[in-house]
Amino acid sequence: MIRFLFKGLIRDKHRSLLPLIVVALGVMLTVVFHSWLTGVISDSIEYNARFTTGHVKVMTMAYADNLDQMPNDLALLNADSLTVALKKQFPGMEWVERIHFAGLVDVPDRSGETRAQGNTIGFGIDLFTPGSAEIDRMNIRKSVVEGRLPKQNGEILISNELASDMKLKPGDTISLISSTMYGEMAIYNFTVAGTVVFGTSFLDRGTIIADIADVRQALNMEGASGEILGLSQKGYFDKNEATEIAAAFNRNYNKPADEFSPVMKTLMEQNNLGALVDYSSVILTVLVAVFLLAMSIVLWNAGLLGGLRRYGEFGMRLAIGEEKGHVYKTMIYESLLIGTFGSLAGVALGMVFAWYFQHYGLNLKGMMQNATIIMPTVFKARITPVTWFIGFIPGILSTLIGTMLSGIGIYKRQTAQLFKELEA
Amino acid sequence: MLMAFKLALRNLIGAGLRTWLNVIVLSFAFVVIIWHKGILDGWDRQARTDMISWEAGGGQYWQQNYDPYDPFTISDSHAPVTGTLQNMVGHGTLTPILITQGTIYPSGRMLSVLIKGIDPAQKILAIPSAMLDTASGDIPAIIGTSMAASSKLKTGDHVTLRWRDRNGAFDATEIRIAGIFKTNVPTVDGSQIWLPLSKLQQMMLMPGEATILVCKQRNESFPAAAGWKVKDLDFLLADMNNIIKSKTAGGMVLWGILMMLALLAIFDTQVLAIFRRQKEIGMYVAMGMTRRQVVALFTTEGAMHAVLATLLGAVYGIPLLALQAIRGISFPVSGSDYGISMAERLYPHYGIRLIIMTILIVMIATTIVSYWPARKIARMKPTDALRGKIQ
Amino acid sequence: MKLLLAILCLSISSAYAQYPDGKEILKKIDQNLSSDNRIFTSKMIIHGRRTSRTIESKTWTAGEKKSFTEYLFPAREQGTKMLKLDDQLWIYSPSTDRTIQIAGHMLRQSVMGSDLSYEDLMEDNRLLNHYNAVVTGAENVAGRPCWVVKLTAFDPNMAYQGLKLWVDKERNIPLKEEMYAKSGTLLKRSELSNVENINGRWYPKKIVFKDMLKDGEGTEFIIGNIQFNAAIPEYVFSKANLKK
Repeated sequence: MIRFLFKGLIRDKHRSLLPLIVVALGVMLTVVFHSWLTGVISDSIEYNARFTTGHVKVMTMAYADNLDQMPNDLALLNADSLTVALKKQFPGMEWVERIHFAGLVDVPDRSGETRAQGNTIGFGIDLFTPGSAEIDRMNIRKSVVEGRLPKQNGEILISNELASDMKLKPGDTISLISSTMYGEMAIYNFTVAGTVVFGTSFLDRGTIIADIADVRQALNMEGASGEILGLSQKGYFDKNEATEIAAAFNRNYNKPADEFSPVMKTLMEQNNLGALVDYSSVILTVLVAVFLLAMSIVLWNAGLLGGLRRYGEFGMRLAIGEEKGHVYKTMIYESLLIGTFGSLAGVALGMVFAWYFQHYGLNLKGMMQNATIIMPTVFKARITPVTWFIGFIPGILSTLIGTMLSGIGIYKRQTAQLFKELEA
Repeated sequence: MLMAFKLALRNLIGAGLRTWLNVIVLSFAFVVIIWHKGILDGWDRQARTDMISWEAGGGQYWQQNYDPYDPFTISDSHAPVTGTLQNMVGHGTLTPILITQGTIYPSGRMLSVLIKGIDPAQKILAIPSAMLDTASGDIPAIIGTSMAASSKLKTGDHVTLRWRDRNGAFDATEIRIAGIFKTNVPTVDGSQIWLPLSKLQQMMLMPGEATILVCKQRNESFPAAAGWKVKDLDFLLADMNNIIKSKTAGGMVLWGILMMLALLAIFDTQVLAIFRRQKEIGMYVAMGMTRRQVVALFTTEGAMHAVLATLLGAVYGIPLLALQAIRGISFPVSGSDYGISMAERLYPHYGIRLIIMTILIVMIATTIVSYWPARKIARMKPTDALRGKIQ
Repeated sequence: MKLLLAILCLSISSAYAQYPDGKEILKKIDQNLSSDNRIFTSKMIIHGRRTSRTIESKTWTAGEKKSFTEYLFPAREQGTKMLKLDDQLWIYSPSTDRTIQIAGHMLRQSVMGSDLSYEDLMEDNRLLNHYNAVVTGAENVAGRPCWVVKLTAFDPNMAYQGLKLWVDKERNIPLKEEMYAKSGTLLKRSELSNVENINGRWYPKKIVFKDMLKDGEGTEFIIGNIQFNAAIPEYVFSKANLKK
């Protein structure tokens, strides 16, 4: 029977094509809407997670108290072994060590004396370990405007703005002046591999990005790091997951009496992002609900229309002896088929767009100076498990309801009248 | 044309449920777009107003060395206020602010702060400087709530402030927290304390000097003053404008999707209407209407959805949106945590221009989608159409 | 203003007529502590929040304006050299082979996390050149009778406009110093001990500094060998010497 209906649908384009297109488009819009909204709403959160807070972050308690001073003298001394333990105990997260530091960038003239100086805030991240996701995580690859990514130890990236202020070019040498973990003065030479623009002036004013191994050497931090970031393998912040992991970690490792014992904080406990996370999920739910309602009405209407246009055909079928119930049933089955295939096509199509927006984003320029929160300028969609099935709700359900309603007409009208509509 | 309009309306209403479903969806799109844009505009207005009243004033003069992003410039960024500028200060159209660096020691901790001196009698900025006007001998200071939280200081607390005067000599004294103010503008709050201007000038050995001067009104032309750079509102509010722009851009995509959804419904309806009403079309032509007139009729019918949606949207949208505009929307997120100005209660602003623009865009879009399938009519042979032969 | 100050000083000193003249004491202190030039090795013990650490260095100074320091320990710092001429400071780091000029504001920063700034460490100011002094009393410090001397800067550029010294009556060196802000707030305190007689002058070889506004245990500064009025060739205080 399904096969029969299927053939009918394929052969009679009028019965199938337009409704199918409408359902597919509707479902596609739903998928794109959901992924876009999820992406845009959580983008500032994820951006912060990738650059500063992680989904969870391990620091010493003393470091956490003075976070904005980047107090590397209060860093985690045994960060290496701690990271190994974290990877083993919580494999659901990716654990990365970072050193965040402040200092001066000093540019020498030909005789090695100071030619220019500028303030900098630096990130020591894992640039060179094969498989390290840090470069992509911080979107560094696409941020390079001049030169290239660092290829070997001793090479760094520097904000384009700072570089042009100090007339630096890729290949030039600079010295970083900072203080080591023990408070000594740290002077370390780097070669500029390339310059970067992140699009947020918070970072663009004067950032350098170096490999963590170099930074450790520069700041005398062998085996230590300021922060260990945990980022969920899921690719987005999961409140429950993060809270559970943080609680489990703190039970084992945190000793409130020792200010240098490690403490794990979730993203929600940092930079006051907690309220934003909660708020975002409420907004997301409300907007998706409104959209689903609207889309359901549209597809319901489409189902209704699809039924109406075939009243003539039903008249004929009733005239040649088919029962009303049977006509009604085939109609429902057909709408289910259309709903299913339309939804599948819609999800597939929507996912293509969603994927594109997730990977490449849409560059909607708008920079922020003076921000303590990092804001994105490229908006990106995000595909979550919900995105995969949310389109089926309006796609199948609404089509079905629409068809059911229009089908009632079959019972209400006389066969003769329906037959007449065939003439019409 | 009037006939086409009347006819279209009658046909549309006659279609009953189908029409109303489309109208409901279209009105949704309408209301949500206006609502969303209204929130952004409301935020924009509020943020601009706050920035102007707390920080930017009507524009500023900066001492030529002053660069707020380079802390090392601050010790060299002060100059006597003389000539035209002094006259303007005298007339109350400018207020000077002296900015220096210092360290406070709340309970043995060290905190670097910006010290800002402001005239207690000034009326240009919303900083409650009047609280600094005390007769008692000690040095009063006011701080913002976020500074109070990070330094753990309360009203009435005393704290040691250490600074170096213009010669580099250390000086330190106890200051008394005379008041704590709440502001949506984080750039006048975090890591800074406000002192009476004359006191700070005295402390720094910089009598009559200032770092920036804040104008009262938005000036069209700022009198030039040697050694001072003019920073107009466009410059001072650039960050804010950029955030709003970026939010609007992100929202635009959502509006687009919402519109496409509504238009999809109308498109579908139009296609069906033209399919089912071929006989009718044939009849119109037979009765002497030109095909273009028939196309116009069907297009009008489709576009009429937008008219009805406007009406329907108005019926439930106006009370809903008006209520929000009056009561405001409560935001659990305080913007000052993010370095941007954001009030905890936001009042959406629905400008006439915004509403008219939205209506126009929806109308035009609807008309286009209605016209598109209707073009088919123009290619029909009336005789075939009459018999319902063309599909 | 100066006249007024002089009258004030005079009237105060007459009130404390039984005490010696402040200026005389300063002169004697300067004779002990200051010299045209000196060469010394020193050890600085910095008590941080987490660990204490030691830095050893050798310093050459001449007059009030010139100073040259070479770091000897720890290994990481070894060979790092600093040259200060007037308000300018250069640092040479051997690992990078760079001579870096440190801007004026850095001079006021703490040296390697200690309670001392570069200024504190590298300046050898003769008290007499910058301060007026009045003896205000007599107290015992570490079991030794001392004059309590109040110093007020007449040079507005001095970082500490007020000093209070407890000067050993017999040996004419301070055993305790307090540094005050202009308004009178106590900023730092140092205690001087291990007084030795070197070539006829008394010299404290250990100083403990403490920032009084901040929690913490302070910084110890211990002098090893010290040589006064040695023949220091002029090239020591040249930038060329940094790279040697």
